[in-house]
Amino acid sequence: MGWPFGDDRAAMRILNEIQRVMRLIMLLRRQRGCKGLKSGEGGLMVVLWNSKESYRVDHCRPLLDVSGAPMGTDLVFGSIAAAGPWCEGFATGNLKPGFTDLIQKLFPSEDQGPEPDQEELCGFTHMHGPIHLLISFQVKVAKQFDRQEWPFHIEAFLHKLSLTNARVKIHFSCKSYQKRLQRIFSGKIQCKLTLKDQWSTFLDVTSSKPGVSVGERPWCHGGHPVPGERVSLSIPPAAMERGLYGELSLQPVALLAPCVLQYPNLATRLTHIQVEVYGPSNVPVASPTDFLQQLSVHLNCEELGIDGILRWNDPTDLQPRGGATLPVEAETGPEGGRSLASVEQSLTLLLFLHHMDPFTSELYDVIATEELLEHHLEAILTNNRQAVTAALQREIKSILNAHRRRSKASERICSAFEVISSSALSIVSSSSNLDFRAACLSNMRVRDTHGLSQALREAQVRVTSWKFVPKARCYPVPQEDTPTRTEM
Amino acid sequence: METGQQEQFAEIDKLRDELLTNIKCDVEPPKQLDSREVLTRIENVILGMVATLSKDEAPVLVLPSRSDWANVSFDSAVGLQMIAGSSVTTVRSDCPLSVKKFAQIFKILSIIYKLVQSNSYATKRDIYYNDTQLFGYQRAVDCIVDDISCMLQVPRRTLHVLATSKGFLCGDLSYLEGDGSRVNCLSSSAAVPVSSNVAGIKNIVSSAKFVLIVEKDATFQRLIDDDFCSKLCPCIMITGKGFPDVNSRLMVRKLWDTLQIPIFALVDADPHGIEIMCIYKYGSAMSFEAHSLTVPSVRWMGLLPSDLQRLRVPQDMLIPLTQRDESKLHSLLRRPYLASQPSWQKEMDLMRQNKVKAEIQSLSAIGPDFLSKVYLPNKLRYGGWI
Repeated sequence: MGWPFGDDRAAMRILNEIQRVMRLIMLLRRQRGCKGLKSGEGGLMVVLWNSKESYRVDHCRPLLDVSGAPMGTDLVFGSIAAAGPWCEGFATGNLKPGFTDLIQKLFPSEDQGPEPDQEELCGFTHMHGPIHLLISFQVKVAKQFDRQEWPFHIEAFLHKLSLTNARVKIHFSCKSYQKRLQRIFSGKIQCKLTLKDQWSTFLDVTSSKPGVSVGERPWCHGGHPVPGERVSLSIPPAAMERGLYGELSLQPVALLAPCVLQYPNLATRLTHIQVEVYGPSNVPVASPTDFLQQLSVHLNCEELGIDGILRWNDPTDLQPRGGATLPVEAETGPEGGRSLASVEQSLTLLLFLHHMDPFTSELYDVIATEELLEHHLEAILTNNRQAVTAALQREIKSILNAHRRRSKASERICSAFEVISSSALSIVSSSSNLDFRAACLSNMRVRDTHGLSQALREAQVRVTSWKFVPKARCYPVPQEDTPTRTEM
Repeated sequence: METGQQEQFAEIDKLRDELLTNIKCDVEPPKQLDSREVLTRIENVILGMVATLSKDEAPVLVLPSRSDWANVSFDSAVGLQMIAGSSVTTVRSDCPLSVKKFAQIFKILSIIYKLVQSNSYATKRDIYYNDTQLFGYQRAVDCIVDDISCMLQVPRRTLHVLATSKGFLCGDLSYLEGDGSRVNCLSSSAAVPVSSNVAGIKNIVSSAKFVLIVEKDATFQRLIDDDFCSKLCPCIMITGKGFPDVNSRLMVRKLWDTLQIPIFALVDADPHGIEIMCIYKYGSAMSFEAHSLTVPSVRWMGLLPSDLQRLRVPQDMLIPLTQRDESKLHSLLRRPYLASQPSWQKEMDLMRQNKVKAEIQSLSAIGPDFLSKVYLPNKLRYGGWI
């Protein structure tokens, strides 16, 4: 599945460069044995800009457009800088001699580009300290590459990256002719996740407010990731022929947001399931997978307790690459006020790939293997369709258990409310005690028993839906505010 | 013959005189509640719910805990009584686990309200069939009616909910039912069921010298077959067929209030039988209306643990106490009323010591009619009760 907009390969190249740098950083960190809390903090800056230029492809013949006229091409320049404790000591000490060679191999000189503005770098270093790694590259793109959408895909990728690297502040800046896009990704609420045989990672579990109906009530500002069981994956022959060996597995981590644990009676409605895949170095996969998009067909919604049908997004819709968004189409049913208040939730499934090959230890080879893995990801997932689908079904069902319980509890409460209201109303209506009747009506601020009936029901729903039970594991306040997206 | 009869009942008459002397005049029965008061108490519950909701708080029902012994005190003249301000259980309307019970209570309150208002009656079974889906089981209705009785602090009968009687009567007794029908236990060849509206009974006529409470229906039927009521005439026999229902207990109390004759209990020599006897005498979890349900003057006639040795009941008729029996015996010995019954304590200690129990039927091993021809007549003649 390719991008329908702009130069597909060029945009993919940009993403690949960013991926490569990130893989390098993550693997270097592991090599250095960075485990401390502080060592995970720092900044990552991704700056992209393009310049208009008309030139020949191979210095012999020009690029031609559909009419046969010579076509100008643009260059997109990119720089990725890393600073802070998380990448300290990369180019120093014992790493330095081999490090330079490694950089040369990963980023050949013909692909290297100019460095960004010093002004851009100053702001970054002022915040995070000296830069420990700076890679600059350039990518040739067709003139028509000046589209609105390609920064969206980069931005989406960086957002996914920040989800699993919450302690790293990611600064993204994109200058495209008259437009400038700046964004900072930072985890407000972070949660440390330690998976078996894998390095700890800090997830950004920041959660949005559960709808306007919550009002001024307290709410949990973060989510609570739930690791699932690891699934072993077999490597298809085609991938093995290309050099992909070793043990491969996949571990899902589910995150339901916003968290409503503190409101045990609040009904929830699942709006969509977001699936993202991360490579062994914890870098998001950028290649699209039909397998994930088609998950909606293979998952059993009824068993999952989802009130609706899982769809896949229209391919013509603009969607980030690498993952899948499966919206839940609510089933039409009888309208009614016989329900408790509800909030919408989304489920994010982070699929972490884990690869172990004892014969691959050199950093360059590890990075190459990971790129190979991503290249064959579709085939791998398809080859293990049954196991992966069953595992995801299990995890989703498990995480939605609470949702199903709420649903049942909500039905039970609503059904009981009908009886309570009608019984109370029956007594009030048939009572000959005027003081009693007047007191009931006046308490609920209504004029007659009809109004009383409505008022009792509404009050019951309001009081019961928002019953608050504080939980120690929930996040009562946000940790810090970050600037929102700006466009100039 | 008449002299023989006089001798037969000499000890009973003596006991009766003693009981009449000891009746305390200063124990006043509780004030009878009228319908308006019951309706007001129900209205207060509804108003409380409405007021709580109007403050955006979840309504909660507070029920005195009927099963907690800490909520009970003992008065030798009355029996067990509920202590005011005792431990409670709460039923929340905002909790999925308890909201159904909350709804059930409100539903039954609304039914009771209508019954009291219209001065009509319904059985617990009728209430259950009103909404079987809501209640689920008959037992849920039974428990909630008792809970409401406790919560409103009113006797169950004022709720106009009738329990199905399971007890039976026979002997020298006649009376008028609430609906005007005449009941004559003497002329009936079979036992007469205890009325489901004991409070409505009027014009009780009897020349009985005593009332015999029989624990089990099997023993009751055996005594009827042996024509016990004719042989030991005049007397009244009643059975609750095991754990007594409220109507059977009300009937025993009514007989005491009206006839003021000795009441004896004939139960198995086991902890379960002793507990049943204690319920007639001192009451149970329905302790807030002890005045109408207990007869503290009940005497334990048999089967006593000491009778087993004295009568040399065959060993193969004796049953070893189970773990549960020992546990119940231990619990009974700790009850507040046992302190005032040293002779009962002695019998129970003997049972604990010997670690055996026996049913009344074990007496048939001595002789087929031993119970009705020898055991009971001798007990009555010679005052063999405690």
